[in-house]
Amino acid sequence: MATTTAAVTLTSDLLSDNMSVSASTTCMKAGTTADGLDGMEYGYLDLITGDEYDLIGATPTASKASKLYLKNHSTDETYFIAITQGTQAIGRLYAGDWMFIPADFHDAAGEIAITANGGTNKICYALFHEGITKDASA
Amino acid sequence: MATTAQINIASDIAPGFGGIIETMTLTQAGNIVDIDSTTGFSIRKLSATGAVDLVTMDDISNTVETKDSTAAKIFIRNIGYKGVIDKSVGVTIGVKAEPIGLLYGGDWMMMPLTGIDADDVTVNPATDDTVVIEYVMFYEEN
Repeated sequence: MATTTAAVTLTSDLLSDNMSVSASTTCMKAGTTADGLDGMEYGYLDLITGDEYDLIGATPTASKASKLYLKNHSTDETYFIAITQGTQAIGRLYAGDWMFIPADFHDAAGEIAITANGGTNKICYALFHEGITKDASA
Repeated sequence: MATTAQINIASDIAPGFGGIIETMTLTQAGNIVDIDSTTGFSIRKLSATGAVDLVTMDDISNTVETKDSTAAKIFIRNIGYKGVIDKSVGVTIGVKAEPIGLLYGGDWMMMPLTGIDADDVTVNPATDDTVVIEYVMFYEEN
């Protein structure tokens, strides 16, 4: 079985006492406890301004247990990537920010779309999945 | 100390993949000033299917409101119930009416948020079995 683990350590001094949370999970296929995700797509690229782009250039199997990591590696703190799923704005990843989410890809409109703001953003992403259908060649 | 989050991903799916270790300091939008507000660390027990708000954007703590379209983030984890974590059953996390994905037992996520009113964070268990979600949101106060 392929094994993918994702761990996080979160600390903050915004409360009256320092907060520290650690969590780790093994990424399994949907609905199973014995079979791990076995596919991945990994990229590091420049994202130019002007248009919205699908992050994943293929169609992952919908409603499964995919996990998506995305980081904005830009160094100018005013730069950000706007994240949209379907028609819903999710949020912004400013320079240095990362996110890690379960990705549903429930239909063609469920794709994660990204838009660069401020200038060309440098991004890194990784999709861990359990099946993908490549886009047909034009 | 500020607010920081480090992710560490290890995987043997692809030969030669060296893993990912990255740390971010949560700052306000467009500058390097530390993010200044949080909901605090909370839990929410769910015992029935049906989407409910985990965070209502115009009602955070009933006292403050998030600044819109900035650098808000939320951490969410499915911690099961009474020490039992079922990795085969999940809770759908959504923003407004858009499902983001299923958070199975033990899984966690960190995502940015718009903070815009009505862009609420929702949770919808797949079954009626009791499950507990823990979460903390960081945002800029309006």
